[in-house]
Amino acid sequence: MRYEFRVTGSVSRLLEEAFPELRTEPAPRQTLFFGTVMDEAHLYGLLARFQDLGLRVEEMRRLPE
Amino acid sequence: MPPTGLLLPGDGHRTRLAWSGDPLLDAKLSVPVALRTHVPRKRLLDRLGEGAGSGPLTLLTGPAGSGKTSLAASWTRSGAPPGPVAWLTLDAHDSAPGVFWSYVVEALRRALPRLPEGIRMPGCPGSVGASLLTRLAAATEQLPEPVVLVLDGFEKVAGRRVPAGLEFLLAHAGPRLRLVVAGRADPLLPLHRYRAEDRLTEIRGADLAFTPHETAVLLRRHDLTPGDDVVRALTQHTEGWAAGLRLCALAMRRTGDPAGFTRSFTTSEQAVSDYLLTEVLDAQPAADRELLLRTSVLDRIHPDLANVLTGRRDAEAVLARLARENAFVEPVPGTAWCRVHPLFAQVLRTRLRMRHPGLVPRLHARAAHWLADAGHTTEAIEHAAEAGNWSYGASEAVHRLLAAAIPAGPRTDRIEQTFTSMPGTVPGAEPALVAAACRLAQHDRAGCGRHLAEAGEHLRLREPEPEPAVLLTHALLRLLCDPHGDVPSPETAAEWAAAAAELMRKLPAERLRERPEIEPLRLQGLARAYLAGGRLAEARRAFAEAADACTADETLLIRHACLGALALAESAEGVLASAEDHALRSLTIADQHGVVPDHRSGAGYLALATVAFEQGDDEATGRRLDEAAACPDTAADLVLSTESCILRSRLELTRGRWEAALTALTPLPHHKPAGAGPWPGRRLALARAGIALARGDHQAAVTALHDTDGDGPAPLVALARAHTAAGRTGRARRLLAHASRSAELGLADHVGIQLLGAHAAVLDGHPETARRLLGQALDTARPERLRRPFVDAGPWLRHLLNEPDGAGPAPSASAWLTARADGAGVPGVVQPLSSRERDVLVGVQRMMSADEIAAELNLSVNTVKTHLKSVYRKLCVTRRRDAVERAKALHIL
Repeated sequence: MRYEFRVTGSVSRLLEEAFPELRTEPAPRQTLFFGTVMDEAHLYGLLARFQDLGLRVEEMRRLPE
Repeated sequence: MPPTGLLLPGDGHRTRLAWSGDPLLDAKLSVPVALRTHVPRKRLLDRLGEGAGSGPLTLLTGPAGSGKTSLAASWTRSGAPPGPVAWLTLDAHDSAPGVFWSYVVEALRRALPRLPEGIRMPGCPGSVGASLLTRLAAATEQLPEPVVLVLDGFEKVAGRRVPAGLEFLLAHAGPRLRLVVAGRADPLLPLHRYRAEDRLTEIRGADLAFTPHETAVLLRRHDLTPGDDVVRALTQHTEGWAAGLRLCALAMRRTGDPAGFTRSFTTSEQAVSDYLLTEVLDAQPAADRELLLRTSVLDRIHPDLANVLTGRRDAEAVLARLARENAFVEPVPGTAWCRVHPLFAQVLRTRLRMRHPGLVPRLHARAAHWLADAGHTTEAIEHAAEAGNWSYGASEAVHRLLAAAIPAGPRTDRIEQTFTSMPGTVPGAEPALVAAACRLAQHDRAGCGRHLAEAGEHLRLREPEPEPAVLLTHALLRLLCDPHGDVPSPETAAEWAAAAAELMRKLPAERLRERPEIEPLRLQGLARAYLAGGRLAEARRAFAEAADACTADETLLIRHACLGALALAESAEGVLASAEDHALRSLTIADQHGVVPDHRSGAGYLALATVAFEQGDDEATGRRLDEAAACPDTAADLVLSTESCILRSRLELTRGRWEAALTALTPLPHHKPAGAGPWPGRRLALARAGIALARGDHQAAVTALHDTDGDGPAPLVALARAHTAAGRTGRARRLLAHASRSAELGLADHVGIQLLGAHAAVLDGHPETARRLLGQALDTARPERLRRPFVDAGPWLRHLLNEPDGAGPAPSASAWLTARADGAGVPGVVQPLSSRERDVLVGVQRMMSADEIAAELNLSVNTVKTHLKSVYRKLCVTRRRDAVERAKALHIL
């Protein structure tokens, strides 16, 4: 399953690297993280990682395959 | 006399944990120190005070760095809490319920001058049975004043089991226990219900956000006095995020231009945390940055360890300065260690991986060596695993005698966990020994044997002679699980046990003191070998000795298993009263420490099943067998699995179901496996012979018995029974005479010989002799209420007992025989107890509370109380203790 996360603000390369399994794309006042999420455990792990880094997830959705 | 099975020496009030006194663990249980720049926030302190002052639960939730810990800590220090505060800072290792609850118990103990009676440390890290939580909840009823339990970092506790336990505690605790849970996410508790019932106070992210006024105070504490517009802009852009505002203060102080910083920060499109973390980190001197980067592989930083990782010598000064100046390096109070704020830790780790990917395993390896030298073996092994250096990790585990202690269970769980990901291809004796120990702990005896054989090969070839710790680990594991077939013969075991004792003498006394599991495991291994070899007297002595050697918290599962096995050996010999006593002691230990079935030994339950069966209580036998089946060693251990199958088979036989009786034996190996010891094989042959006799097939019975390696009286008695049944009384008598000369006659054998003698006399037409022998058998069996041989004896016995002319044994001599477990045999004295009432009474005998009995029997507490009242009425007593005494006197218990 593929997911997209919209995070507030632009994100430096350093913080992008904390998510080696996701690709990023800048958007106005946001950063898009997207990629394949293995399972639910991985999904919650990613959310916890965003939280660890003080990043705010504004939106999250599952992408069509 | 104390009630059965309680108040053992060594089970008393010695509940100090092995780790108390470790400053790092002390730090988990102490209130974090306040930052110099901390801003007291009255509105939140008042709210927290109201919450903890009234309701059972106060929840503090908010993202990382929102000031949850600071708030709870400053409230605790303010003197405002309604009573003593027990503080617990959680980390990711505390998700196992056993670990979590042992910290909770320890935290409560430190907060309360007198911990209410009945609370013990959980026995296993994996899980905690309901009994411990019930006790804990019951104990909170007796609190003289409110007690606050603060659980900080609750989001680190993964899974549902700890929250489920917490929910249970909240539902059953007394009104004086106040819980404050702080975490990033809502705990898995029924919060909606607590809200509706007005039992919950919440302080959430929006409440924790700094107001402009609070921001101004924070900045002033950093010697910054910017204008209102700057304060407002910062508060707005960070959305009042405490950690963000602290980072702003640090950055502003450094630039010396608060307005300029605020402009560029608030107009930046970059994520707030990203901007600030980068800003503050990049502002550090290069050397400090390098130190932070390299130490990011650690959970906690010690200055000396930091020096090892950086190759420099200034870590102590650097860390002290960072702790003084920054918000993100915090000292661990009372120690030289410090911790990096989780926001930074994650960024630092990422940066390290990005900049120096090859360095990470090398840093882990260096950390492993330093930690091992400093005596932090568990952490050292975890870092060795991270470094992929399994050989080193395994070698440390063996040399520090951790591997040898793994089969003892409770506290070595974390090590076992670490080694589960060790690949099977790591060469050498030590990795094989560690793998063997882990398999044994998982009851995979075949796997353990394979790895032990491999370890033996390596050790044989090793030059020079391996160290004593390595040889000891090998000797001990071999004793517990012989690679050539599960249990060594008694002779081999005695040799290995002596060799292990010799090796222990060669090791430094201090290292052995650190592992109190070793000696009890050695004795347990020896005792198992005696039991499997059918040498019951020696087995009993050895199990008792092993149980006595268990004096530490680490050994309580060994004690539990050894007392159970001791009881099983006694029950097999017909010493039923003592067997019951030891079995109940074994179960009491498990109950008091909240051990779940997964970690229990089935031996005690099997012993109780055997006692119940021999005393003629078929229903209790079945129930105890089911309880035994829930314990993993009942299937894994050959002696236990044999006893369990045989008892099921005999139970079927009493119902006349021969086929089912045979089927019950099928899980057992048909021919005794090599090296398994003669005992299980002999027991199996006796069971088969019993079935054959019940079908009237004497020849099959005799054949079954000829397969046994028949020392000991039991096979002789069984053979005599087969011949008696076939009418060959002469042969039977010769066999009985032979059997009665045996050196190892147990009580059950005596009864068997006397009864068969009586039967033979009946057949030969000597009623006088028959009556005399029957009287002897009754007298022998009476103290233990060993009914089964009489029940199974056949119709001739009933005729002899019920002779109309009163020529049989005096009715008083045989009255106990027909006094049913339910009391029906004592008419006029008491009304019979129902089986449920009896269950409840057994619970009372085990000193369980009504709540615990209800939990165990799946009844409501009110039902249990009703049963108890009815028991009191029937027994004409008014107190629990009297009920037990009276029931014992009446042979109901």
